[in-house]
Amino acid sequence: MSKFNFPFIKETNELSNLRKEVREFITNCINNNEFTPSPDAWVFSADPSFSKKIGSKGWLGMSFPREYGGHQRTALERYVVTEELLSSGAPVAAHWIADRQSGSQILRYGNEKQKSSIIPRITAGECFFAIGMSEPDSGSDLASVKTKATKTKNGWKLEGRKIWSTGAHLAHYMIVLARTSPASEKNRHEGLSQFLVDLSLPNVKITGIPDMTGQRHFNETLFDNVELSDDSLLGEEGKGWKQVVGELALERSGPERFLSHFTLLDSFINEFRNSLIHSGTKIVGKLISEIQTLRRMSFSVASMLHNGESPETQAAFVKELGNKFEKMMIETLREFSNIVPLHEWPNQLQNLFEDATLRIPSNSLRGGTTEIMKGIIARQLGLR
Amino acid sequence: MIEELEIILETTSKILQKHVNHSLRQNIVSENTDILNLWNDIEKNGLPKISVKEKFGGYEIPFFSILPLIKIVNNHGTPLPLSETILSNYILSESDINPPNGIVTFASDTKNLQIKNNMISGEILSVPYLNLTKNLLIVHELNNVKKAILINEINGEIIHAKNFLAEPRYNIKVEDLNIAEIRPIKNNIDFNFLGAILRSAQMIGAMEKILDLSINYCSERKQFGRALSKFQAIQHQISEMAVELSASSAALSTITELGLVEKNSNDAAILKIRAGFAAGKIIAISHQVHGAIGFTKEYELSYFTKNLNSWRNDFGNESFWEEFLGKRFLEKNNKNLWEYLT
Repeated sequence: MSKFNFPFIKETNELSNLRKEVREFITNCINNNEFTPSPDAWVFSADPSFSKKIGSKGWLGMSFPREYGGHQRTALERYVVTEELLSSGAPVAAHWIADRQSGSQILRYGNEKQKSSIIPRITAGECFFAIGMSEPDSGSDLASVKTKATKTKNGWKLEGRKIWSTGAHLAHYMIVLARTSPASEKNRHEGLSQFLVDLSLPNVKITGIPDMTGQRHFNETLFDNVELSDDSLLGEEGKGWKQVVGELALERSGPERFLSHFTLLDSFINEFRNSLIHSGTKIVGKLISEIQTLRRMSFSVASMLHNGESPETQAAFVKELGNKFEKMMIETLREFSNIVPLHEWPNQLQNLFEDATLRIPSNSLRGGTTEIMKGIIARQLGLR
Repeated sequence: MIEELEIILETTSKILQKHVNHSLRQNIVSENTDILNLWNDIEKNGLPKISVKEKFGGYEIPFFSILPLIKIVNNHGTPLPLSETILSNYILSESDINPPNGIVTFASDTKNLQIKNNMISGEILSVPYLNLTKNLLIVHELNNVKKAILINEINGEIIHAKNFLAEPRYNIKVEDLNIAEIRPIKNNIDFNFLGAILRSAQMIGAMEKILDLSINYCSERKQFGRALSKFQAIQHQISEMAVELSASSAALSTITELGLVEKNSNDAAILKIRAGFAAGKIIAISHQVHGAIGFTKEYELSYFTKNLNSWRNDFGNESFWEEFLGKRFLEKNNKNLWEYLT
């Protein structure tokens, strides 16, 4: 079991001060009506001007090196900032993917030109990314992607479709996982490569897919023989699988896996504090214990990432527990409606609750399903 | 001190590997010379007094730092109350009482306790391993002061004995029994918190063992022409055990690293809730994947799952600590939840 340790990391005074600073900033924004806290904001609530503002505060690309416009701060500092943004339901969707995974991926695998042209814009909150992994025929089975990149005289020709690309309609780039040579008989993970694709190129077609809430964040992105320059390749040709696995660790371990609906919980408690004292201490205690454990684990993964480790399995633990927690939280609140009927809840709270109920099935799909998380863990346990 | 602890952990593992086996667990009586030999080895290495002050002959390693030792002891399924002795001796030593040699057990619950003329009467409940020792620690509040009470000649009427395979437990009724030592407990010691932490660390050690047993069993046992571990349904169940265990271990290491920042920190409550919940899941899943063999006395799984069932109920179950946490936040705090959590 030593593989699954989550070393304890203390929140230092410097981190607490940073937390305070971010919190004050957010409170001001809310007081000035710059945004309304919303649920699942890192997926649904995009506001490029807010992203730019966050960038100018130095809260994007926090751990990126200074030479590329970054702030050379720690992953723990970034963790604290993201927790504050998520727990307040701030509109962070525009920059979320770029700041969480794409920037780090480019810094790790990109060439000089890719780094110097893109990283400073991510840090400024001016350059947004979409994820190019899933395809119409490849969901959980990511290695089966059919999008193909073929070498040409001047670069590459990209052909295929990506789907569920959250925010692609607002994004400037997508990191696309594509096949550059056929899979070998023995190893399907060979022959995949990652490409840095400018979404404004000719023959890129982005079509919205309304989700079951009626909102648009999903897209299908068609690459109809898109001509890519030679230096669009991200990292090494044929090493795309290894690269994408690392990217997923960044994607899965953060506090968005358990704080997506925190605004709902917060408003719920503020509204019903008095009834909860009489008949809800137990449920509140249960929720507190879960959140604190998850924060503790996720913070620990942030420190592993900072130390250059590859906590893919630990990330799966956080995601799996976080998803379960959010579902349990919604159910717990639903049961409380036996004490105060739902129709007596303030309208805004009813909306938040109904919205969360509607969205919650997606939490254990996006970023890898429960089944995939359990498979990753089983592999580490030596069962596969 | 960390190096010292590393050496102690290694030595302990060796001792336990040498002595502990499943047949030892089926004969937990003071006449069993194997049990006595194991205890002698444990005592020779100073383990019972590991957190006792140096002036009383201990190693004086802080109680929170030795939780990894508690985990190891229970990972081996040691059928002796070493964990109870370590905590009892720590509380005695912190209360300026020189801990006795030998096994010391404790009572987490009492009924109608009366103390007069340095004598004690009443019911002392759910005492582990009372058959192996005469030394007992009771923590009891007298005139609003919490006291550590050491009895070194426990004697009375056994009103209930639970002598199944896992650790033995007794309810005993005593009358005018002599108290060896009685002293106020230091302010920073809360028996219920420490007991909850101890039991959680024990549970985590046992749950690690249960996970290993389950992985090994499912990898070896073949049905429908392949190992059980090759079935996805089984893989996912075992993964769930690992997830629950990792969350509990994370909660434990918070305390190991940080200690309880304040006596009433939330960390003990969070740990007991987390470990107790995990235990419920892990008991159910481990028995499910083991099939009938896990339900036999001969196979060691049940030793561990039975102990989990005792420990998750000691010093407050999940509901107790959930209410404790919820009440504390809702009643004594006007902060919103996020401010409170951070």
